[in-house]
Amino acid sequence: MTKTLLRSGAAILALSAAAPAMAQEISMIVCGDEMDPIQQKYIDQWESENEGWTVAPEVVGWGQCQDKVTTLAVAGTPVGIAYVGSRTLKEFAEFGLIEPIPMTEKEKASYYPNVVDTVTYQGEQWGVPVAFSTKAFYWNKGLFEEAGLDPETPPTTWEEVIADAKAVTENTDSAGFGLVAKTFDNTVHQFLHWVYTNNGKVVDDEGNIVLDSPQNLAALQAYKDLVPYSEEGPTAYEQNEVRAIFLDGGVAMMHAAVSTVQRLEDTDIDWGVANLPLGPDAEGPGTLLITDSLAVFSGSGYEDKAMDLAKYITAPGPQEEYDLSYGLTPLRPSDNIDALVEENPYWKPFIDGIEYGGPEPLFTDYRGFQNIMIEMVQSVVTGQAEPAEALSKADAALKELD
Amino acid sequence: MPGQRSAVLFAWILLVPALIYVCAIVVYPLLQTINLSFTDASLRRTTDYIGWENYARIFDAEFATIIGRTFLWTFLSVALKMIIGTCGALLLNAALPGRSLFRLMTMPPWIVPMAIGIFMWGWMYNGQFGMISGLLQRFGIVDGPIAFLAYGNTAFWATIVTDVWIGVPMVTMYMLAAVQTVPQDLHEAAWTDGASRLYRIRRITLPMILPAAITMSMISLISTFNSFDPIWILTQGGPSGSTTTMIIDTYSTALGSKRFGEGAARAVVICLFLSAFALLYFRAVTQLSKRMST
Repeated sequence: MTKTLLRSGAAILALSAAAPAMAQEISMIVCGDEMDPIQQKYIDQWESENEGWTVAPEVVGWGQCQDKVTTLAVAGTPVGIAYVGSRTLKEFAEFGLIEPIPMTEKEKASYYPNVVDTVTYQGEQWGVPVAFSTKAFYWNKGLFEEAGLDPETPPTTWEEVIADAKAVTENTDSAGFGLVAKTFDNTVHQFLHWVYTNNGKVVDDEGNIVLDSPQNLAALQAYKDLVPYSEEGPTAYEQNEVRAIFLDGGVAMMHAAVSTVQRLEDTDIDWGVANLPLGPDAEGPGTLLITDSLAVFSGSGYEDKAMDLAKYITAPGPQEEYDLSYGLTPLRPSDNIDALVEENPYWKPFIDGIEYGGPEPLFTDYRGFQNIMIEMVQSVVTGQAEPAEALSKADAALKELD
Repeated sequence: MPGQRSAVLFAWILLVPALIYVCAIVVYPLLQTINLSFTDASLRRTTDYIGWENYARIFDAEFATIIGRTFLWTFLSVALKMIIGTCGALLLNAALPGRSLFRLMTMPPWIVPMAIGIFMWGWMYNGQFGMISGLLQRFGIVDGPIAFLAYGNTAFWATIVTDVWIGVPMVTMYMLAAVQTVPQDLHEAAWTDGASRLYRIRRITLPMILPAAITMSMISLISTFNSFDPIWILTQGGPSGSTTTMIIDTYSTALGSKRFGEGAARAVVICLFLSAFALLYFRAVTQLSKRMST
């Protein structure tokens, strides 16, 4: 009997000792409809190079993805690694839910300028960029011609945009500019294009709120000046709805992502794409830089391995393959990207704008920031407030929020 | 009395499964929500009790406006649902040719998944591509496109209309069932005495279906007060907060801004309002049944 007990105890001890040697699984949440084959290929490759480790990706639809990641983290059962919008990194970081992912100077330098800022908070990087989006200026050459404008010459300044929008509105059946002001996240994005094309900022390098600045006032004033020459009721339309109007010939100009090119190629519209027009204080072409990142959650017990995986699948080679196959704005410059721009010149403005572009400002309560900004834009667009008053009110609200 | 005691015990034993079920899905979450409402719960891993702070914070001028807007929105939506639903029930009960077809035609808002129905309304309200704006322009009623979701007033009414569209079939079916319980011989007697159709509806049908109407109003009131999907999908509470009701505000606070404690306090306030409605309902039903029994 004693022998049997001893044998059983020894067997249990042996099993316990063997446990660490068994395959460990890294849980991963990927937002979307299906697992991307390119990322899967590099995950498989990482697994073969890291014996004893497997990755279990779970694909979650965009609508629930962020909530699921957050809920798991708050409940104390965090996922190992997850795909998140970089704008959420600050709130995750502040509440100790994610780990910093330090980047070497060489790694930072490999990205286009300002890209690393989208994942940086208090001097540390909290995610690895995995998808990138920038916007450029689209115009309908046919409507320009109909309005008596030179169809081959897009506006390069805000003043010209407003003048051209006026000409289109007055001389054609279409509206001049596709203005976005719906209660929706991309209203903030669209307004930030104007901020970043006039050397403006919402949060400065020291983390202070600097919304109430002459540059941002000019941006909000330009937004207001475009209202008479935009589609009727801009507060009813978000970015994709404005794009639908543009594709239908209902507006002559808009700010949109590179994915619009494919949609335009399915229409009869004669179109052009250029750098976002600049405000009076601009130092060069700008745009809003939006990234999604891979974040490593605290408490999984294998944070280091998860970081290694995140960096592996976003290394220059795999990331470029992913960017090119999905038509995303590339995260890093390379010879292949130069060749892409040469072959498809429409890519140029989406890359040019990066140099003076800026990130989605990081707030602990991003939704609160978003609501304040939307309220500011809507109050100006609907004529309920003057730009200076709305800007000052929003600045005070952001300071209180922060 | 031992027999009576064992009967009571037996009744309690029968009730136990239901009580456990109610405690698990109603009482426990409710107590947890109340508990949460006194904390500063957020994404932070630790939470502290902060007393009445969340309640003090929500009762500012903005929340008062939201409460007022919620009551107005709910009142208009419930009133329209009850009026349209009751009229529909009376018509569907009339001896019209093709009555079955008309009954079937009331069902689509129920058959179509709610989100899809709301998206459909969203497109109809669209100024550029929407049917409503297009028809108004075609008939020369307006000069140019109207984006119904772009302005506070029109967005407010647009969300109500969509909510009414969703809610009318249930009211109609419920009221139709009530109308069908009215004894036909009362109508025949009144008709023999020369009472007009309108008079019979006013003096026989409506009083007879009043208890059902009160019950339906209360059910509709509670679901409408908490109506989330039509507003969130169409406007997300905008523009400029013009369609933000208490449930939208609670969702934005709790899940949007991740201020779970403050969101819970708002949810408790909603719960208190709904409890007050339920209390009024029970009083009304009790008084009505007393009046009918005398």
